[in-house]
Amino acid sequence: MTDATRQRLFGIDRAFAHPATGILLAAIGIMLLVGLVTILVVVRHLDAERKKELWQRYIGWLVFVPLVAGPMLAGAFWAILVVALLSIFCYREYARATGLFREKLISFLVIVSILAVQFTVLDNWYLLFVALFPLGIGGIASLAILQDRPKGYIQRVALGTFAFALFGSCLGHLGFLANDVNYRPILIFVLAAVGLNDVGAFVTGRLTGGRRLCVNTSPNKTVAGAIGALVLTVLFVVPAGKLVFEGTELGDWSRLVLFGLALSVSCQFGDLMLSSIKRDLGLKDMDVLIPGHGGLLDRFDSLILVAPVAFHAINYFIGVGKDLQPCIFSGAR
Amino acid sequence: MSVQDFDLKPAADLGLTPLQRWRSPKRESGLVQTAGHLLFAFATRAFLRIWNRLEVHSQKNLPKEPPFIMVANHASHLDALVLAAPLPYAIRDRVFPLAAGDIFFQSAVVSALAAGFINAIPLWRKKSTPRALQELRERLVSEPCVFLLFPEGARTRDGNYLRFKPGVGMLVAGSDVPVVPCHLRGTFEACPAGRIFPTPHKIIINIGQPLRFPDVPNDREGWDVIIGQVEKEIRKLGEIEFVAHKSPHPARNPAQRIAI
Repeated sequence: MTDATRQRLFGIDRAFAHPATGILLAAIGIMLLVGLVTILVVVRHLDAERKKELWQRYIGWLVFVPLVAGPMLAGAFWAILVVALLSIFCYREYARATGLFREKLISFLVIVSILAVQFTVLDNWYLLFVALFPLGIGGIASLAILQDRPKGYIQRVALGTFAFALFGSCLGHLGFLANDVNYRPILIFVLAAVGLNDVGAFVTGRLTGGRRLCVNTSPNKTVAGAIGALVLTVLFVVPAGKLVFEGTELGDWSRLVLFGLALSVSCQFGDLMLSSIKRDLGLKDMDVLIPGHGGLLDRFDSLILVAPVAFHAINYFIGVGKDLQPCIFSGAR
Repeated sequence: MSVQDFDLKPAADLGLTPLQRWRSPKRESGLVQTAGHLLFAFATRAFLRIWNRLEVHSQKNLPKEPPFIMVANHASHLDALVLAAPLPYAIRDRVFPLAAGDIFFQSAVVSALAAGFINAIPLWRKKSTPRALQELRERLVSEPCVFLLFPEGARTRDGNYLRFKPGVGMLVAGSDVPVVPCHLRGTFEACPAGRIFPTPHKIIINIGQPLRFPDVPNDREGWDVIIGQVEKEIRKLGEIEFVAHKSPHPARNPAQRIAI
């Protein structure tokens, strides 16, 4: 392992080397303060239940921000570890909600596939990372045959491969962003855009009301909320992206507008996708881990589809980790 | 032809906090818990075989598939481990010792260990409701699974039997679920109440013929009939004396000795 790699994985002393890191974190801090003031103003006009929900959501954010930002500042290894844990715990919630957890072999194969993806992320082994998507799906579909239990095969394998695609492959892309030399501002930028998009949709939807977006899937979501989230995300992505991607091909404002739109759309589809899953299962929340938010999946649902969109956009224009040491631990090429 | 809907059944304990889940009779195991149960089962079986020279008699009497209930006399915390030892690993994830809630599920740490390793389900001795027993009865058949139960409800302090309580009747009266009476010998000597680590005393489990009660009414009289028969069988199994075994305790040292 080269010194540069060790520094990237574990070095905390260069946490604020890129000016965008500090500025973005300060912006998030200001947003949290603005949120606090807003809640204190509006909370008097709300009933007890709404008041409780709002405070729980706010406290949830107060916990998430340091929990996510801390490892990112500490080093790429910790950022990748957090994403790996997120992938596994999101899968756990999904498996318990769908009943897939009763299929021990499929569950085992999904977990092994997720861990394999996370290893290629840590190893910066891009070719295997890409190859693991079809290989993982093929592996799950193939090894499930060994049970010699054709009844329910389609359901078991479909649930397993769907889980691997979402929590292994899609979320794995978020971890792979940690293989860029500027991973700290990039990851904070992506996560802040997702958080802002969620808050934007929630606030705009509540304030304006109007036509429902997908009434059977998520009755509380409105068209106005979706447009509000789109506008707010783009308004954040353009100036923040200018800071993070200054001097690169993605630093152009027209590309950043498109990037912002793509992030917001994938964010909202991720949210609606989990709503569809919950509606299909007849559940309100996936778990009760986080008061006011539900489970981890309820909080991070928007991130699932954003991760590959953000990764491939950045990789296309900049090339994630192209100048860094590949295959750090495996030594493969 | 139309595509059939998936048969999706969320976990029965979904929406519970970890502590509630450990204490819930609806608890279902995931991959980690299953690994914990198997690892613990392997370790305890090996320990009992080596340290206590565990002997299993009449294993052929065990039903091939769940559901069934194994009942035995109760003298030690080792009893649930001994009773589970003859069961195959393939069904270990569906074997639930019914354990005293006030001992094994009071604190969060002990609850996590009891649920994570032993796969125990709490029975609250003074506050078990008919609803809770009905839930257990339903789970026994629907999963299907195996319950390990000690009808005396507490460990003997002197080696003699305690009064048998009719709870097992509530779980099986009017159903075809077999009750397997077993007699445990040597656990009182190896690890009686108050002792933490067992002595290397030999332990023997004698498994009786399964009993079925499909025609017994599910009421107090029926439960008494069932527990009466179960107690009789357990006592009878306890009267069988194995060659080379001498128990100092009266309940396990009857005058008549039968060598098998």
